[in-house]
Amino acid sequence: MNGGSLLRLEGVHKWFGENHVLRGIDLEIVPQEVLAVIGPSGSGKSTLLRTMNLLEEPNEGRVWFEDTELTDVRTNLNKVRTHLGIVFQAFNLFPHKTAVQNITLALHKVLGLGNEEAGERAMQELRHVGMEHKANEYPGRLSGGQQQRVAIARALAMRPKVMLFDEVTSALDPELIQEVLDVMKRLAEEGMTMVVVTHEMGFAREAANKMVFMDEGQIVEKGDPRAMFDRPGNERLRKFLSRIL
Amino acid sequence: MSTKQPTSQSDILETPAERRQVALARLIQVLGASGLALVILGTISVVLLRGLVPHQRIVEALESAETLWILLTSLALGIVAVATGFGRFKRMPTKTSRERAIAGGVLGIQALILAAALLAFREAGDPERFVFHFFNFGVLEGYLGLFAWAAVNTLILAFVGQVGGMIIGMMLAFLTLSKRKAVRAPARVYINFFRGTPLIWQLITFYFGFALGLGIRPEIDLGPVAFGPAYTAAMIVFVLNTGAYSSEVFRAGIQSIERGQMEAARSLGMSYPQAMRYAIIPQAVRRVIPPLLNEFVILIKDTSLVVVLGLASSEYELFTLAREGYSDSFNATFFTAAAAGYLVVTLPLIRAVNVVEKRLRSGLVTVAA
Repeated sequence: MNGGSLLRLEGVHKWFGENHVLRGIDLEIVPQEVLAVIGPSGSGKSTLLRTMNLLEEPNEGRVWFEDTELTDVRTNLNKVRTHLGIVFQAFNLFPHKTAVQNITLALHKVLGLGNEEAGERAMQELRHVGMEHKANEYPGRLSGGQQQRVAIARALAMRPKVMLFDEVTSALDPELIQEVLDVMKRLAEEGMTMVVVTHEMGFAREAANKMVFMDEGQIVEKGDPRAMFDRPGNERLRKFLSRIL
Repeated sequence: MSTKQPTSQSDILETPAERRQVALARLIQVLGASGLALVILGTISVVLLRGLVPHQRIVEALESAETLWILLTSLALGIVAVATGFGRFKRMPTKTSRERAIAGGVLGIQALILAAALLAFREAGDPERFVFHFFNFGVLEGYLGLFAWAAVNTLILAFVGQVGGMIIGMMLAFLTLSKRKAVRAPARVYINFFRGTPLIWQLITFYFGFALGLGIRPEIDLGPVAFGPAYTAAMIVFVLNTGAYSSEVFRAGIQSIERGQMEAARSLGMSYPQAMRYAIIPQAVRRVIPPLLNEFVILIKDTSLVVVLGLASSEYELFTLAREGYSDSFNATFFTAAAAGYLVVTLPLIRAVNVVEKRLRSGLVTVAA
């Protein structure tokens, strides 16, 4: 049925009121794929990403995760979402919990892990993103880059099969962007399946193995990132690249 | 001219003229402050030294020569502080001395107004009559224990209303936040009804209306403590009414938490109730503490409305007791005592609200960073 794909979108449409944000998206993500989604602001990139774990419900079309149709009302989304990690532009750490508590909360309450196991796994993921020394700090005392790394660790601790990144460096000061990108690059090298909505063209070029260019709610072009950067086939992509590079 | 750098206020002042200005600013501040202190503390001392009972002592104190001198001195101090403070502050060489001069002027205004008002009252008013009616503490004899009990009753009514109201309010808040209209609608009807009708209407209708129309006479008997029908009806109405108001506070508190918090929790696989319980509510609770305390202060004062219900004498709260005292004696000192009773209870609470708000504000700065 799914032909080996992890995530599949079929004819997805989304309206916000009169605003037709996604206009018929078909997309497939296979294991170990690192898919970069680029495009001008307002082109629907973030909305597309958020339909992948149904934070945004499509008005039309279907979304599949492995053999489960997320757009089927009978699907238990809470269960599926544990396999789909997402990291947000605004971090969205829980400010009343320390870094390690941010991670263990869902391990306890959703996966039902015991104190010891949850704590161990949380520390393991904090080490993974180089944040073990701040385990007991509250988010308010961490820099943006550090908060974002904790947010990545929080998502990773659920042991997801896909990681979704929603412009995760856009809210960061320039000098803090690299530490987050480094973590993401390492994840890509480790074989994590990733969908990355980004304005970081360098990251898209180096770390992604597939790229889509979106404009006005549609996927205009998709292919190999290097090829798309070096020989943009489409006029709109060429214009977009010439404006930002 | 020296190359003076105005880097900090602690700069050593160079010219004697500047040093004189700074000293003058200090003097202006002291003048204003002592004027105000004199009119308040001086007058009170004169009164207290003569005693409060019988009330003629207070009148004598007000009409005494000492008081006249105190008021005239304060008036003079105030005028001097105002004139020099506002006349000179622009010429002050440092920020501190400028602020001192202004503070002196402002305190001077307060001293001046108070002293002038007291003088006018003393010379042109009728201190005898006023003191007889409002500060005739002799009539309170035998009532002090009753006032203490009345304060306890006021607090019981308000406390029961607040705690019960918060429970109802929390539940209503969840209903009003539902995305389903069928769930929201009845909650909104309830809230709008209780917020849209006067509390005194609710008290009277519930008590008399239900008692006469439906024959319901609510009573609570806990053995050692029993609450009569009026008292019980009042508690129920306060709970229902506070439920409507506090639900709006809870709703606003929950809605003030950024949307991303709910999204983060849900995307980790938490259900809506789990996300509420572990992510949203803990943050919202901190934000609603000050408005809920404010509501409690309002409710403490609103308990006075039970005066219309006819409580048993053992159940009197502050205002009902004062009204009864007034009916017996035709003396308004009972109302003065009731006001003092309310203030004793509410002032610490108002202070607590400010402290909590300040702490939350400083706490939120780090959260938002």
